[in-house]
Amino acid sequence: MTPALTYSAVSVGYQGTPVLTHVDLELAPGQTVALVGPNGAGKSTLIKSILGLVPVLAGAATVLGDHPAAARGRAGYVPQTDTLDADFPVSVRQVVMMGRYRRIGWWRPAGKDDRRAVSEALDRVGLAGRAGHRFGTLSGGQRQRVLLARAIASEPRLLLLDEPFNGVDAVSQDAIVRVLRDLTGSGTALVISTHDLQVARDLADLVCLINGRQWAAGPPAATLTEQNLRRTYGGSTISLADGRMVLVEP
Amino acid sequence: MIEPFTAPFMARALTELALLALICGPISVFVFARRLSFVSDALTHTIFPGVVIGFLAGGLEGLFAGALVAGIVTAVVLTLLTRGGRVSDDAATAVVLTAMFSIGVAMVSRRSSYTSDLTSFLFGRLLTVSPRQIAETAALVVIVLIALVAGARALLFRTFDPGGAAAAGFRVGWLDLWLNILVALVVVAAVRAVGTILVVALLIVPAAAARMVTDRLVVMAAVGTVLILGAGYGGLLLSWTASIHYGVSLTSASSVVLLLVAAYCLLIPVRLIRDRRRRTVTVPRQRSSVHELVG
Repeated sequence: MTPALTYSAVSVGYQGTPVLTHVDLELAPGQTVALVGPNGAGKSTLIKSILGLVPVLAGAATVLGDHPAAARGRAGYVPQTDTLDADFPVSVRQVVMMGRYRRIGWWRPAGKDDRRAVSEALDRVGLAGRAGHRFGTLSGGQRQRVLLARAIASEPRLLLLDEPFNGVDAVSQDAIVRVLRDLTGSGTALVISTHDLQVARDLADLVCLINGRQWAAGPPAATLTEQNLRRTYGGSTISLADGRMVLVEP
Repeated sequence: MIEPFTAPFMARALTELALLALICGPISVFVFARRLSFVSDALTHTIFPGVVIGFLAGGLEGLFAGALVAGIVTAVVLTLLTRGGRVSDDAATAVVLTAMFSIGVAMVSRRSSYTSDLTSFLFGRLLTVSPRQIAETAALVVIVLIALVAGARALLFRTFDPGGAAAAGFRVGWLDLWLNILVALVVVAAVRAVGTILVVALLIVPAAAARMVTDRLVVMAAVGTVLILGAGYGGLLLSWTASIHYGVSLTSASSVVLLLVAAYCLLIPVRLIRDRRRRTVTVPRQRSSVHELVG
């Protein structure tokens, strides 16, 4: 079966200047990789390179069996909701329908299949009753679920999520996690950038620790070690009485 | 109320404004949503030297071609300058705006009839619209509407979420050029009738006023179109009545724009009432961003 993603000794960056180097990653259909690292580590740049929006400067990369630029538009993408204008006059249904625009094309009106895909996607994220509401009137967590529904409506085999749990309430987080598990169960591969190590541990099959370069990658238990985290974050850890650890950034 | 429009020049002026309403209403929605007011303002000014060159080369008949060439060239230049954040949008736009406008003024000032020419370029000649002008405007209206309908979904996606649109495979740079050219074509269509200064009102005020009463883009476009039609009819009537019955010289294009702005002001309370009625959205509990791990 074609891997969803293969990165071998890849460097990515802007205008010839690498932002992130030494990325080695292979993701099979139905697997989840969590990209973990501090702010400015290159998580968003890596996601953009998978989307074909930032060039691969060195190494070999394939996305859904093609060069990332050739696969552009075939991977789903869920941006952070706070990057969008909350005052924009657009309904929840319209936002989710955007996930179908590439299929619909330039001239054809949205058909029965498109409307059904939108309704089903909204139903899956638990927002079927909000279809007619203006996007900006929803809470941050609900907006994030709408953006997830938009990505689902495009029926991607690879889905990339940029910090999907930032500023999200517990109800929405549970709903998002449930949908993500459903998606991997049906063979969709996921790439999730996150600050939250617990999320990485709970959701991911693979964790990729990055900060300017890839420092470690592999199954969560073997990768989220104190030594790897210190190398990635450059800080120190504090052991708590209940056995957990808190990472303190320098 | 109908009688003034039995005069052919008034009927032609109203026809021209009705045609412009068909494109200005929908385009103003994108100008509003993309926050392109300043870019639109710049386009109206950067077309100015094209208008002057066209006039100097071919008189009033050359004005259209001059404006068309200048409009498309400046749409391309503005798109390239503001692309990718290499130059701050506002700074680049302001430089192009002032440079091109100065060139236009320098050229027109070489003519002996400098003041009257400048006035007509800046404020238009709504009451001297010719049948040929109406035909040219109608052609542009058809082109703009077809291009707008074809690109509406992609433009909406790009306007709402440029990153998401790029990730979905849309070429954001081309979409920006597409919209800028459409705005330029609208300016070209409107510039002879209402002038380079007042045309910006037709590109900004309709959607801004419509936003006061609706949250839906399609309704905004329709309301914007109706507002221009209403202001067009009312402005022409006002200008006619003032000059015929009261001997007051009131230019028709500025009457139209003033009524449009008055509609905007009258709708402000509607927006305030709607905002007050809108239920308060509760702020969700934020997750901690502490990097926590289980050891």
